[in-house]
Amino acid sequence: MTTEARLDGAASTIGRPTPPLNAREKLTGRALYAADFKMPGMLHLKVLRSPHAHARIVSVDTAAARALPGVHAVLCGEDTPDRLTGVHRKQHRILATSKVRFVGEEVVAVAAIDEETARDALDLVRVAYEPLPLVRSMDEALRPGAAEVHENTGNLSIEYNVERGDVDAAFAGAALVHEATYETTPQYPGYLEPMATVAWVDGDGRLVVRTSTQSVFLQRNRYADALGLPVSAVRVIQATVGGAFGGKVVEECNSLICAWMAHRLGRPVSFVNSRLDDFLGARSSPAERITLRMGVDAEGHIIAKEVRILADCGAYEGLATHVLQVSLVRSDNMHRHLRNVRSNGRLAFTNHPPRGAVRGFGGPQAAFALNSHMTEMAQALGIDSVDFMKRNAVRAGDTSVHGFELGSAGLAECFDQVSEAIGWAAKRERPRDRGTKRRGIGFAGAIHVSGNREMGNWDGSIVTARVTADGRVTLSTGESDMGQGAYTMLAQCCASELGIPVSRVTVLPTDTDLSPYGHGSIASRVTILAGNAAIRAGRAIRGRLLALASEVLGVPEGDLTIAGGEIYATSTSPNRRLTFGELSRLHLYRHGGEELRVTATYDPPTFLAMSRPDQYGNVAPGYSFAAQAVEVEVDTETGQVEILATVVSDDCGRALNPLAVHGQTCGAAAMGIGWALYEEMKFEDCRLLNGNLADYTMPTAGSLPHIRSEIVESMEPNGPYGAKGASETAMLPGAAAIANAVHDAVGVRIRELPITPEKILAGLRARASADAAPGASHA
Amino acid sequence: MSRIPIEVIVNGVAQRAEVPARRLLADFLRDDLFLTGTKRGCETGVCGACSVLLDGEVVKSCLSLAVQADGHEVTTVEGLAAGEDLHPLQEAFAEHGGFQCGYCTPGMLMAAIAILHETPSPTEAEVRAGLSGNLCRCTGYVGIVESIMAAAEKMRGT
Repeated sequence: MTTEARLDGAASTIGRPTPPLNAREKLTGRALYAADFKMPGMLHLKVLRSPHAHARIVSVDTAAARALPGVHAVLCGEDTPDRLTGVHRKQHRILATSKVRFVGEEVVAVAAIDEETARDALDLVRVAYEPLPLVRSMDEALRPGAAEVHENTGNLSIEYNVERGDVDAAFAGAALVHEATYETTPQYPGYLEPMATVAWVDGDGRLVVRTSTQSVFLQRNRYADALGLPVSAVRVIQATVGGAFGGKVVEECNSLICAWMAHRLGRPVSFVNSRLDDFLGARSSPAERITLRMGVDAEGHIIAKEVRILADCGAYEGLATHVLQVSLVRSDNMHRHLRNVRSNGRLAFTNHPPRGAVRGFGGPQAAFALNSHMTEMAQALGIDSVDFMKRNAVRAGDTSVHGFELGSAGLAECFDQVSEAIGWAAKRERPRDRGTKRRGIGFAGAIHVSGNREMGNWDGSIVTARVTADGRVTLSTGESDMGQGAYTMLAQCCASELGIPVSRVTVLPTDTDLSPYGHGSIASRVTILAGNAAIRAGRAIRGRLLALASEVLGVPEGDLTIAGGEIYATSTSPNRRLTFGELSRLHLYRHGGEELRVTATYDPPTFLAMSRPDQYGNVAPGYSFAAQAVEVEVDTETGQVEILATVVSDDCGRALNPLAVHGQTCGAAAMGIGWALYEEMKFEDCRLLNGNLADYTMPTAGSLPHIRSEIVESMEPNGPYGAKGASETAMLPGAAAIANAVHDAVGVRIRELPITPEKILAGLRARASADAAPGASHA
Repeated sequence: MSRIPIEVIVNGVAQRAEVPARRLLADFLRDDLFLTGTKRGCETGVCGACSVLLDGEVVKSCLSLAVQADGHEVTTVEGLAAGEDLHPLQEAFAEHGGFQCGYCTPGMLMAAIAILHETPSPTEAEVRAGLSGNLCRCTGYVGIVESIMAAAEKMRGT
């Protein structure tokens, strides 16, 4: 990682490492997160969660809780609006009524003068349940006669079928066909800040919600819908967000319950999740069972692919339908020769906690299966796995099987970078380790979208810019900074157009009353969409400044220089210099004057494909790619996997801020390694057993190697200065790269995550007994 | 519940308070002194977001009682900068990608101070071992480790 970053911001321009704009406030403890806010008369909310995975609510007795001094409200499902809420399919009320469908579902909410009183009150609530038959797994869910999580659904949330080309003919003509099944486990997003919200009703009766969120506008629409309010009666303000990773979009219920309670009581209410609350209430990624059947021709080109996925939705449908859609088809777009595809995806309701959006959004599951599969096929073909992956990698100018139009594609270059950095050429020739500890190397690659046209057939972004009377530039956006550096990127884009340092730019936190509309920080969309809008806003401001300066100085615009926050005539000397501040004041304080403010919108030239049955078309203005190489050492006695080295290469188009890109890559890769090796949500009868950070083991500094991050700059034609998204792609390849490295080391193929010592030892034992069997041959 | 008088020096300022016996140090700092830089992340002492220094030693303020700080000195993230001048660790965290969302950062900075106090010239492995009580989901620890190594160099004056 480069170390040229400077905190003063003076030297920062596009492509230079640039510290976050809000570095000072975050490093001095002054940044305010939702749990840091206090208001006069503020009450504290706590919820009682269901201890049953599937049960009828027979009765709720709140009398003793209500009688506790300091308790202001004890409310249950019957007290909530009778309209249903949910992302697309509306399936639940704000608190459960009639029955509960997962352990952790919110049943009773208490508001009290402090958290301790609220917790004490919960202990006094008596809920009688009548247990119902459990739907323990997605297989059980879809068996005829299974109990139903939701009546008249057959426990099938959604089914997708996509078919292109002549799949059967392609398989019939293939030189090699390989089929295998892979299983993935849910991952908890693991942001360090548990969900927190403070909500109140303003003097004019409007509901105000300050919360930790990736999207204030999607949240506003959701609260308004759930409470039966017009959207103009709800204001959502983004607090500093302590990490989100997909978990703070529109599925979490902390903010919704808090908003409802404040609206109902007319008093400020704070709801801060405990970590257990958060584990039970957060959406984890869907577990998927992925069966891949792939055919290659004699040149090693993938020509046929069949994907069958069964995914566990958990108890309610949120964004899991979209996650499944992504798992099902997106990775097909990595294969440049592929024209024949058949996919079937089914999403089953179970009594597990609801599953939904987590970083990568279905990509990690697909990438694990695909890269494991491709490595097995390369071995069967006798081709180097990197060579096989590169041979099939899409290139700039390609239109993929599902209609993705690739203006840039650096996947092959990513493979080159990581294989060189890990020393593949030399290491693949070294003699295989024969001792207790054996080394192996694995590779994997991935594709991700930068934006995704979906909601309202608009995937645009709007940036408002104004020049203040003291010459600073203030930007407003509807997209959220959760720590990924979005605001610094916007400041860079605008500053570079105006020739000022980023330290002269302020980016305001999102607020539905004040910010232009934005879908928010999802689908790695902000750099490519809001970045373009910020450039347009910067150019519009520049145009206004030059026009006014030309008028004031009596010099044609073409003869003006704009630099360092000033405008002056280039040819005449000496001359008057006009500062941005002076121009801003002149722009306003004159007859017919107006504030120097512009609004710029960028809506990409993409196609609304995901909501069509055939799902064909160019959904995003750019597609990011990543590859990862991992060298492991496997202890054949303990089954322990140690990562000796790993390199991740991200094709982010262009690294506008390498400091942020490397940070995103390393963080995403760590999350991928955690998912592959350490993180497992353990369930018994659908009850989460390890809902705390001691037993759900996210990687620590000591358990991770130094992650080496590399950048490929493929210069996306649609991107701001060539940039694409760089936040999620690096999350995708890790698990498969590790699985491939383990196989390379000890010959054990792990097709079910996580990759645990137990599974490796079982695989080694199976190999040993197969080798010992009479007539065993060594491949 | 009976209230117990305590005297604690927090970031160099003497604080007198009467606190319930079961008041956590984290809550005392955040809710009574309004030093909200110290974060709560897990309530079980695992995540380290609540780390503060008690007489120079790192403690998890979510596992400590306010009364245990009686007669001692507490340093929180708010006490690191000297006016507008950031501590070398704070500067390094900004310049080397030591934070993103910032939620683990106050605890990381406290852990880092303790590491460098103990070992002014640490190896990368020593830094990683020293951070074992602090979780970060954003950075993969790469930027944090580099920040601490860079700050160590600066603080040694080399």
